[in-house]
Amino acid sequence: MSLAFARQTHISRLGRGILGFAALGAAILAGMCIGETPIPVGVVLQTLANKIFGATYVLDPIEMGIVWNYRLPRTIVAACCGSGLAISGMVLQSLLRNALADPYLLGISAGASTGAVMVTVAGLGAGAISMSLGAFAGAVAAFLLVAVLARAAGGGVTLHGTGQIVLAGIAGSQLFNALTSFIITKSANAEQARGIMFWLLGNLSGARWPDVWLAVPIAVLGLMACIWHARALDAFAFGSESAASLGVPVRTVQVALIGVTALVTAVMVSIVGSIGFVGLVIPHAARFLVGVRHGRLGPTTALIGAAFLIAADVLSRTIIKGQVLPIGVITALVGAPAFAVILIRGRRAR
Amino acid sequence: MILEATNLGWSARGAPILSSVDLSVKEGETLGLVGPNGSGKSTLLKLLAGIRTPSSGEIRLKGRALAAMPRREAAQLIAFLEQQAETTEAITVRDAVELGRTPWLTPLQPWSEEDDRIVAQALADADMQGFERRSWATLSGGERQRVHLARALAQRPQILLLDEPTNHLDVQHQLSLLELVTTLPITTVVALHDLNQALSCDRVGVLAGGRLVALGAPEDVLTVERVGSVFGIRASIVIDPTDGTRLFRFHPVR
Repeated sequence: MSLAFARQTHISRLGRGILGFAALGAAILAGMCIGETPIPVGVVLQTLANKIFGATYVLDPIEMGIVWNYRLPRTIVAACCGSGLAISGMVLQSLLRNALADPYLLGISAGASTGAVMVTVAGLGAGAISMSLGAFAGAVAAFLLVAVLARAAGGGVTLHGTGQIVLAGIAGSQLFNALTSFIITKSANAEQARGIMFWLLGNLSGARWPDVWLAVPIAVLGLMACIWHARALDAFAFGSESAASLGVPVRTVQVALIGVTALVTAVMVSIVGSIGFVGLVIPHAARFLVGVRHGRLGPTTALIGAAFLIAADVLSRTIIKGQVLPIGVITALVGAPAFAVILIRGRRAR
Repeated sequence: MILEATNLGWSARGAPILSSVDLSVKEGETLGLVGPNGSGKSTLLKLLAGIRTPSSGEIRLKGRALAAMPRREAAQLIAFLEQQAETTEAITVRDAVELGRTPWLTPLQPWSEEDDRIVAQALADADMQGFERRSWATLSGGERQRVHLARALAQRPQILLLDEPTNHLDVQHQLSLLELVTTLPITTVVALHDLNQALSCDRVGVLAGGRLVALGAPEDVLTVERVGSVFGIRASIVIDPTDGTRLFRFHPVR
């Protein structure tokens, strides 16, 4: 049904692109209006006009501050994380030919939490390094360990052994999760443990403009890498030997794409914590909508991921009055049933 | 010589699968490869396709070292039809055949009407027109094999390497595939199980225990004695009274 739909509705590529950007813009706008203090669309737009184009609308400075300093960066970071994680999941699923692959498969999330815990609880760096930096270092360390382990197991990111990297990732994740638990149990007090729990499930409330300048280029890099390699990713449909016979330099593509995936995931996790579910499920939802060809699938996945995480963030700050839920709780609570519906309907349509 | 292998060898975890194979493929010929299971036919084809790196020896494609050639350039010259290439993706027939154009496209050289035309021709040659919208999961084994063939044809190669392409095919499609392969103006190397089909090739190579034990015209190479010893059977030849064609019959060794 999916491909037929895309072919029958003769919207040009440009038209689809514009439609996508409009949807993303609308989601970001909604993310800025909705919150504990609802702010009218007009005020939001006037704030943007003041800040970006130097317009001189007279507005309440508090509302303007909420929109410009908190909600806008938060919403943009949410969009970047959603699209980055979803794209990473899609690339790994295609490359490893494993429907269960997600960005945390490479041990990145577990490593990031260990890094974060080392900084905040064990006091590594004596306050000189931030939790984000610690998380990023942990994520990179864990990924390198997993890559080395996979390589030693005879597979690595090579032609034949995609199974090894999955197994190495599981082993690495277990190791780093155990390390995290060990550090928390040994040195954290109850308050710290709660804080860490909250961070592990994902939290966008700390997102500010500097995070935006980091998240946007990284998310764009992820999407660009995927679009550039779209045909190579398509060619993996029948396995890596088949891809090689179709002229894909398999090893180069695998190393490049897994590297980009690791970087995108590590950066996103270090900004917002590990938000589950997005990287696993959004790519599958996108496949049901537009089919398996990566030229269409990549941008669609990025768009749905971005919109989904913005929506989840809005819900996380509005669903319980006066309290912010970890966004990972929302992504799973809302996403899992929605995905079940897609799965069942997709099966009927076939 | 369009494709030339010298002293070719490949081993898996120290165990030699293929050793000291010298093989020259002439431009435009159809070369059949026969041999028992595990004799190294698939390995030889994968080495010739350049998707595995030889442990020893060298392959030259149109005089150039295949190992030093970019994958993309090699794939513009050689198409390889694997055995049992499967997918769990919800891919359509059309999607699968379009993959054949991969080596000719880049992000800066996108899909064109010429590619549409080539894909349509490939589907027609493989007798799969009308199946474009069908999903991979709904195809039978033989239909899948024909889609793979169409994909290889869509690559517009000068050399076609086929690993047991008649597997899963009904008699009619076996014949039409072999006829297509022998009439296409390209070079073909084809691994075959059916020795009677091998008789219709221009030349035949016999593999046994990872070595090329004979190479030449089918009637010289596929003798009753050699077939008997290589396959561990007793073979006899019968003549078709309608047209005088030689045919093999096989019997267990007593």
